[in-house]
Amino acid sequence: MGSIQLTHYLVLSAVLFSVGAVGFLVRRNSLVALMCIELMLNAVNLTLVAFNRWMPANPGGAVAHHGQVFAFFVIAVAAAEAAVGLAIVLSLYRVRKVVRTDDANLMKE
Amino acid sequence: MKDMLLYLLPIVILAVGGFSLMLVDAFQKEEGGLAIPTAMLHFASGAACLALWNYAGSPADLARAASAFNGWLAFDRTTLFLDLIIALGGGLASLLAGSYLNEHKLERGEFYTLITFASAGCMMLAGATDLIMVFIGLETMSLGVYAMTAFRRTNARSQEGALKYFLLGSFAAALLLYGSALLYGMTGHTDLAGIRAALAAPLDVPGLAAQEGGALALSVQQTVRDRVVILAMVLVIAGLAFKIGAVPFHMWVPDAYEGAPTPATAYMAVTVKAAAFGAMLRVLVGVFGDTTGAASLAGGWPGLLAWLAVASMVIGNLVALSQSSIKRMLAYSSIAHGGYILAAFVVTPRAELLPGGEGTVGQSAAASVLFYLLAYAVSNIGAFGALMLAGSRGKEAVSYDDVAGLGKRHPAVALALSFFILSLAGIPPMVGFFAKYNVIRSALEANYTWLAIALMVNSAIGVYYYLRVLVKMYMHDPAPGATRAEPMVSPGIWLTLIFTAVLVLVMGAMPQTFFGYALEAVKLAVAPVAAAATP
Repeated sequence: MGSIQLTHYLVLSAVLFSVGAVGFLVRRNSLVALMCIELMLNAVNLTLVAFNRWMPANPGGAVAHHGQVFAFFVIAVAAAEAAVGLAIVLSLYRVRKVVRTDDANLMKE
Repeated sequence: MKDMLLYLLPIVILAVGGFSLMLVDAFQKEEGGLAIPTAMLHFASGAACLALWNYAGSPADLARAASAFNGWLAFDRTTLFLDLIIALGGGLASLLAGSYLNEHKLERGEFYTLITFASAGCMMLAGATDLIMVFIGLETMSLGVYAMTAFRRTNARSQEGALKYFLLGSFAAALLLYGSALLYGMTGHTDLAGIRAALAAPLDVPGLAAQEGGALALSVQQTVRDRVVILAMVLVIAGLAFKIGAVPFHMWVPDAYEGAPTPATAYMAVTVKAAAFGAMLRVLVGVFGDTTGAASLAGGWPGLLAWLAVASMVIGNLVALSQSSIKRMLAYSSIAHGGYILAAFVVTPRAELLPGGEGTVGQSAAASVLFYLLAYAVSNIGAFGALMLAGSRGKEAVSYDDVAGLGKRHPAVALALSFFILSLAGIPPMVGFFAKYNVIRSALEANYTWLAIALMVNSAIGVYYYLRVLVKMYMHDPAPGATRAEPMVSPGIWLTLIFTAVLVLVMGAMPQTFFGYALEAVKLAVAPVAAAATP
């Protein structure tokens, strides 16, 4: 077997992303849904960083680091998103004492 | 540096203003009083957009603006047009909020900070020409709007709507991000112009073609790249379609619209849509709009969007028919309006010249999108404003039954609500009619006859449920003992409504002039539509 290649990282991150996406769609606990979203965002980070690592250098010899910069932004925004998300979950819990998305059912078609 | 600050002025005014509002709110002794400053900030930002219009008047200006930002943001007239809609929507929504929050004892300064920062995010999204910028703008906008949706802290509906909006919105952002990451990996660029150039050129791996079997390996890699790019494109479309609330990504719309305080509903209906459609214009037409390139991806997405458009129109309108709440009806109708705009969007990559020599079919369609967004913004702000005005604390006008007999009890308020409802329904001479007319014309110009027919049939369905509001107000009496809406006393909302009504009438009286501005806005755009003009 050869060493670890770009493909390995991409497959791993695709699997992580799918686990997150399926988990988000299947699980009904809003905290688990938040965790699934974090998983998806981290899969994206892994993809970005892996692509950046294997990116061929420019003709000048320098490697651009857009992928890594992107990953930093994703990390920062994910933190802000988690803060707002948890605040909303908490606020719903205060009013209705529920955390499951099934129970958030006051409004119907 | 000087250039950069000048071009950034619309966003800088809002960002600095948002921080100042936060400080003022923290140090002032009494709550409230921030609505007018917030509206002024938005209008100042809008005035800056108008002032910058001439600075984006030639290709040399655009090149200077592009070099000031290294391709992160485009300050062309498309961006300025969208920024103007955002500034107008945000300013009017904060004027409405001043009266509404006071009446409903929700007056807290955070709302105005949130609306200001969200508007700055919308403007970033509307002008973004880099995938990183698209993401940052999208999240800045969304985080503000999530919090505004949850602003009625003791109201369970508000919290529920916010939770649904937040979870689905974050999921959509993750899809968009994964698509962006794949695009980055396949092209090595995050800027849209770089991605476009990389996709237009055939794949080349240095040294590979010279090896034995290298040609085959290269063609396999080319196929893989094309497949991955298509997957990435679908993910990006899905992420943006969530934000505009297109079917099948619309589940959050009715709940978030119903749960949010009405000024926040008006705000997100108008500005979030404008910003997300702007980003769509840049990403789809800008990156994948090339019909002549090697990958020729423009063959795929217009068809996909056409189905999204028809599904949004049909489902939005049919479900709107059976609503008992006017706010929820407006939410479903906004899904349908998103569908009408998407119908014009389908035509945007077409590069045939128009018979009159007025640019290309695609440019005229993109102008229809911008014109529709402006018309929809003024009509919708007015409709939500009139709905707010029709109710007061404990006697809100939410359902059809609440407004029964309003025409007899409070003719002026009923007239205001009818006026904007008719504009949304697309009755001439209101601007809503001309917005729909432009979209239908664009669809016909590109020989999408079936799309034009679907649009007309759906507008007719739309008229039915819009007119139901009028029928309820003027021809029905409230059931004995039922709650009835009592209009609030609010000069602020009246002023906003009069201003909006004037805009609706002026734009309805001179649709060609305003369509001309929209056409100018797309003709001189950085990448997307200008590139389509030179086949």
